[in-house]
Amino acid sequence: MAETIPQNGGYMVAAYIVAAVILVGYALSLYRRSR
Amino acid sequence: MTLLNRGRLLTIVGLVLLGAVYVRALAFTPTEASQGLAQKIFYIHVPAAVWAETSMILIGIASAFFLFLKDPRLDRFAEASAQVGTVFAAVVLTTGPIWGKPIWGTWWTWDARLTLTLLLFFIYVGYLVLRGAITEPGLRARYSAVLGICGLVLVPFIHFSVLLFRTLHPQPVILKPSAPSLPAVMLTTWLFSFCVFTLLYIGFVTQTYALLLRREAGPPAHG
Repeated sequence: MAETIPQNGGYMVAAYIVAAVILVGYALSLYRRSR
Repeated sequence: MTLLNRGRLLTIVGLVLLGAVYVRALAFTPTEASQGLAQKIFYIHVPAAVWAETSMILIGIASAFFLFLKDPRLDRFAEASAQVGTVFAAVVLTTGPIWGKPIWGTWWTWDARLTLTLLLFFIYVGYLVLRGAITEPGLRARYSAVLGICGLVLVPFIHFSVLLFRTLHPQPVILKPSAPSLPAVMLTTWLFSFCVFTLLYIGFVTQTYALLLRREAGPPAHG
């Protein structure tokens, strides 16, 4: 019988969003500091 | 083009390419059978971890040279790298538990790799707090250089902790003496992501360095 792939896509989406928020947030903070 | 604008341009290109990494990881890289989609966190967690550690190595090297050469550029670079390293360490410490929960069944465990990575984050924060607490520039640079060298000493223990101690954390699959144990398509996605994180590191550090330079020069004269 074929092994089923775990359904945990929500964790991946959460991690990708968190990483983007941190990196974009830092980029925006640099932009604010430069003004 | 000013240093600040060069850093800003690199950052914008890096963030756009980060979007391309997401697309490639989600749409053009196969899903690992045993871990499912959660395994794709690997493509952002590991490059961020490599740069969180590399950033501290560069701080330590710059700090050691600063103690001999007293060149303020080295101290300025170390501070810029510490700010950016803190950001990458934050990415590691948030994406790691999100990956760990579906795979290990727990958000966090006090094993060697995780605990030492948390310690690295605290060293980054301590380094920045130390710099903020000392107003005399020469003293600030010397004290923070010593802490930067201490941070450098920690990095090999983080990397080899999975070999030295029993841990839930996986063994290295890329940064190891033998060839990477990943299918070529996954390795390509990881290398693409690593290049993008490298670009982001350079862009962030260049901007931060330029802002520190501006702060040292004082406010612009008006009238």
